[in-house]
Amino acid sequence: MRKWSLRLVWRQMDVQIRIRTLNWYTLLIFILQPAIFSGVGILLSRAAGNPVPNLVYTVIGGGIMGMWSGLVFTSTFDITRDRRDGTLELIVGSPTSLGMVEAIRTFTNVVAGLFSLGAAFLVAMLVFHYSLVGIDYVGALVSLFLIMFAMWCIGVFLANFIAWSRLTGAVADLLEIPVAVLCGFMYPVSVLPGWMQAISAFIPIRWALQALDASLLGNSSPTLLLQNWTFAVLLSLLFWALSRWLEGKVHDRIRITGELNSI
Amino acid sequence: MIRLLRRYLRLYVLEAWFSYRALFAWSTPFAYLATKLGFPFFTMLLFVFMGKFVGISDPLYIVIGNILLLPSLNGLSGVSMTIGNERQFGALSYLLGSPAPRGPIFLGRALFHILDGLITVMVALPVAMLFFHLDLAQANFALLFFCVLLIAFSSSGMGFILGSISLVTRDGWMITSTLAMALYILVGVNFPVDLLPGGLELLSYCLPMTRGIMAARQALAGAAWVSVAPLIYGEALVGALYTLAGYNLFLFIEKRSMALGSLDAL
Repeated sequence: MRKWSLRLVWRQMDVQIRIRTLNWYTLLIFILQPAIFSGVGILLSRAAGNPVPNLVYTVIGGGIMGMWSGLVFTSTFDITRDRRDGTLELIVGSPTSLGMVEAIRTFTNVVAGLFSLGAAFLVAMLVFHYSLVGIDYVGALVSLFLIMFAMWCIGVFLANFIAWSRLTGAVADLLEIPVAVLCGFMYPVSVLPGWMQAISAFIPIRWALQALDASLLGNSSPTLLLQNWTFAVLLSLLFWALSRWLEGKVHDRIRITGELNSI
Repeated sequence: MIRLLRRYLRLYVLEAWFSYRALFAWSTPFAYLATKLGFPFFTMLLFVFMGKFVGISDPLYIVIGNILLLPSLNGLSGVSMTIGNERQFGALSYLLGSPAPRGPIFLGRALFHILDGLITVMVALPVAMLFFHLDLAQANFALLFFCVLLIAFSSSGMGFILGSISLVTRDGWMITSTLAMALYILVGVNFPVDLLPGGLELLSYCLPMTRGIMAARQALAGAAWVSVAPLIYGEALVGALYTLAGYNLFLFIEKRSMALGSLDAL
């Protein structure tokens, strides 16, 4: 990557992090919300008579939930906020493409989500004495990378979709929890009825997460991991291709109307 | 005296209607339904599957709890937004500068949200019968209706407090939505509150909705008024205390803004 590109990425990430951390309450999305879901999971487990909750799904799953919530809200509300504040026109009119800006912003949002996952791991280890013995480290790391890649592809797709469709934050409200339900953030996908499992098969996060859970639980096999990783990569690339197509539609609309604010 | 009462009542109803319309008039039916039913429905599904995974075979406790929490969406978030948005949309200075009595102006914010919350539950119960085989054969409907109305009222008391807080901070909505999420753990929606650790259990009894949800669960099982009366009186008291606290907080903020001459810049 050329020097100016790296500088662009760094500057964009810097701006995005500054915007996000201007308000410390936004960190609640990354910490408190997943903690609440994990808390419900732990107490439900107690209500069912289990002495110890399943930490991979209940606590670390809460961290994945925080990553996803942070991403879905920032990626959709970034565009809405730009539109409201009048900065969307400036971004569209700048020499850096809207697609590039969205890609870097979404990457920053995904990386910021690791804060939530890291906190979940710390809680699991320090509070619940989660043991790292038996974990497939390589499998877990590759799976985590693929989860981040899948989230990045979906985030870029959503950002472009919001710009093109002019839909509002209500979409984010509708997407946040259903994806968590379908991908099995807090439980294995096998808990879902067959038709829901069939729908979830189209979401790349589900496959990467399935591989991560298997690696953390120590019951992964090379075949299972490869199969899940392949599905995750292919579906992520499909979302990325769709977002490129939508980006073209966004720019077409601007050219047709001759107005930067038409998106 | 009667003229004064009529004036107050008229102001109360008008204020209630305008604030409700102001919150939802710009919305589309899709956005309205997504907010009112979409998020709570999918959150309930998430908890049902979490319950199934850990070994809870009957999801009805979770389903009923989540339905009974629906009025809080109006009472807490709706009421808080109608008050907090006054500042965001620049209307606070007009509100504070008007000679209208503060009681009807402030309390009127809740009326239609209470009714809306009640209707939402009445829509959700048949849906639960259809999808989760909820059996209402034994239910004491009159008592259930009253309990849901009470839950909607008491949750709006908390909405008044959060709405007043929204007038003095830019992060009011973030605080409100975080607290709304915390209710899933604190007020006996997904599991009985006695499963909570000591401090949190005590906190749950200081919150509105805890006793109301308990009473409504008993009403669904066919309980009579006498057996749930202590819970209902407790819920009404907590709701009234929160409403009073919210109103006094609003008056305090108004007084402070007048003294500082800050109004919208609170």
